Amino acid sequence: MQKKVYFYATCLGTAAMQKMVLNSIKLLRAADVEVVFKKDQTCCGQPSYNTGYFNDTKKIALYNAEVFQGDLPIVIPSGSCGGMMSHDYLELFKDDVNYEKIKQFSSRVIELSQYLDAIGFKPVDKGEKIKVTWHSNCHALRVQKSIESNKKLLTSLSNVEVVYLEHEEECCGFGGTFSVKEPEISNAMAKAKVEDIIKSGASAVISADGGCLLNIAGTLSKLGYKDVKAYHLYDFLSARINGEKL
Amino acid sequence: MKNHSELINTKLADTQMRANLDSAMHALQDRRLALINSKFKQWEGLRQRAKNAKDNALFTLKDRVLEFEKNATKNGMKVHYASICEDACEIVYNLMIEKKISKVLKGKSMASEEIGLNHYLEKKGLIATETDLGELILQLGNETPVHIVVPAIHKNRYEIGELFAEKLGVEKESEPEKLNAIARVHLRNEFENLQMGLSGVNFAISSKGAIWLIENEGNGRMCTTSPDIHVAICGIEKIVESFNDAATTDTLLTPSATGQFIPAYNNIITGPRKEGELDGPKEVHIILFNNHRTNILSNKDYYEALRCIRCGACMNFCPVYDKIGGHSYDAVYPGPIGEVISPQLFGMKEHSDILSLCSLCGRCSEVCPVKIPLDSMIRKLRRDKIGEYEENAPLGASELEHSSLEKGGFSAFTKMATSATLWRTGLANASKFNWFVQSFGGHIPVLSRWAKYKDLPKLEGNLYKEISKLDGVSYE
Repeated sequence: MQKKVYFYATCLGTAAMQKMVLNSIKLLRAADVEVVFKKDQTCCGQPSYNTGYFNDTKKIALYNAEVFQGDLPIVIPSGSCGGMMSHDYLELFKDDVNYEKIKQFSSRVIELSQYLDAIGFKPVDKGEKIKVTWHSNCHALRVQKSIESNKKLLTSLSNVEVVYLEHEEECCGFGGTFSVKEPEISNAMAKAKVEDIIKSGASAVISADGGCLLNIAGTLSKLGYKDVKAYHLYDFLSARINGEKL
Repeated sequence: MKNHSELINTKLADTQMRANLDSAMHALQDRRLALINSKFKQWEGLRQRAKNAKDNALFTLKDRVLEFEKNATKNGMKVHYASICEDACEIVYNLMIEKKISKVLKGKSMASEEIGLNHYLEKKGLIATETDLGELILQLGNETPVHIVVPAIHKNRYEIGELFAEKLGVEKESEPEKLNAIARVHLRNEFENLQMGLSGVNFAISSKGAIWLIENEGNGRMCTTSPDIHVAICGIEKIVESFNDAATTDTLLTPSATGQFIPAYNNIITGPRKEGELDGPKEVHIILFNNHRTNILSNKDYYEALRCIRCGACMNFCPVYDKIGGHSYDAVYPGPIGEVISPQLFGMKEHSDILSLCSLCGRCSEVCPVKIPLDSMIRKLRRDKIGEYEENAPLGASELEHSSLEKGGFSAFTKMATSATLWRTGLANASKFNWFVQSFGGHIPVLSRWAKYKDLPKLEGNLYKEISKLDGVSYE
């Protein structure tokens, strides 16, 4: 696989998880990959798409196809946004004149773990022993199908014990605009997820998706669970291979 | 229509219901998964075959309906057609009047719920009594089904024991066997003088003019065999072409619904009692009803919803459903499939509010035995709701009012997301989580709705500057 890529930071990454973006890029560099960061990149359009604004979303998708021209893989540290661009765009443009253009763009989108897996990246764990659990993002699990690669990276860390949640494949209640349109239901779902996490006995929950992570971390903190941390997979991975404390 | 948030908040606060549902739904999930893993070699292949069987019937629906009518008539059944709910109720009513019957006993039928039969008959002074245990519990408690397969699953055995004691004048019990026995004794009296029985239909086989009914309690068989008149209510999408098609789909149904390998009773009905036969009804009436199903069929985005075999797996696995329960949907059909069909069967004006009861997690589509892309349909219905529909808009979509505030918010968001300068300027102020506010500008106070239950992250740094300094990274 080509070892030069475009990096797609995602809107959440740019706005709220800047360390994760930097750590993801550093991981690619550690795997000896040349990275191109298009400064004009914005968002994949998932918020408008999921709320039903398909015409607005099409404009955003076409903008993305314009910014990321060429043949380079577009690596993205989020299975959710990845699923949007690699799969949902095709559905959105099914009967559209721009279908081929979008298809060319979509076919190049790959989630970071999937890319690292494909180039055979093997992280070396320099961290202390820790027991963690894992949250599977729904869109990553069922659309981008990147959870397997996420877990492969996580479980390859020699000093990390991974325990799985009883209801691992249950949504945490983020769902983009769902969490602001139905905050009460979203909170009930997030609380169920947090209870599951606490029950697992792990000292941290890891996820490879910004939205879920903000939701889970915010709920953990609001409920007063200060001993259980929530980390983005790429922040966690980065700390482990550099032997840093998180 | 009830107030959406009030309804949901009341249900969310019902801790007993939520505990009941949480344990019931997880048990159903585990049983289904265990069964698929232990008994099926090619579950996925079976799903594809069932999808093909249902699609085949839908693509040739007019022919299938006519073929069913021809063959069922040949078998001695009487086929009736109903366009809207009221037509179907009227057919049952007229039959009862004609035969001088004042009470009908019902096996479980969501179709009869859809047409509002009990209520219709009651208004005319006639009685429809439920014989399915779950439905009986609901009827005694004056409630509607909370689920399409297990209609009283939101109640635990203690609550049922209290209800029986109150309504049937029996001792308060909580053992399932004793509760069953109470219901049996009560229903036996009802069955004794039964003149007309009513049922739904799981599959109508067009090439044979037969109907197939599945059930677990035997009450359905009582309703369809012991009275002189049996009336079956059947949505036209229940038709499949052959017994093979029905058998394929049937094989998926109970495992998906309750995690049972097969139902306790498979009833295949090919007509009324024949010359020389000792039992069975003397008349069998089938009411084929439409209620906007042909509208759904004509829409490329939604026709697949008609493949639904009413197994309820989508609600069993829905993380929203088990928090709020079926009554929150304020519609006959709850859960993911309900979100898709209720607005289309009864009108977007009445039912499009439920389109927000979904986080688009996609689990419903993953478990649907006939591969209905439910989550993607819910998203498309949201598109129709805001007025961006293309052709054959769902019932009443054109009558909806739209939020110009939301539309304006997304249009501003799109403007930002398609302009590098606006985007970077906007994100320069991201440290107060402005991204979220700006994204849904029309929905302020979005931030407070988010922050009500969650702590906000702390933000720092200028990402663009940091990235441009990284070694081996082209910032262009």
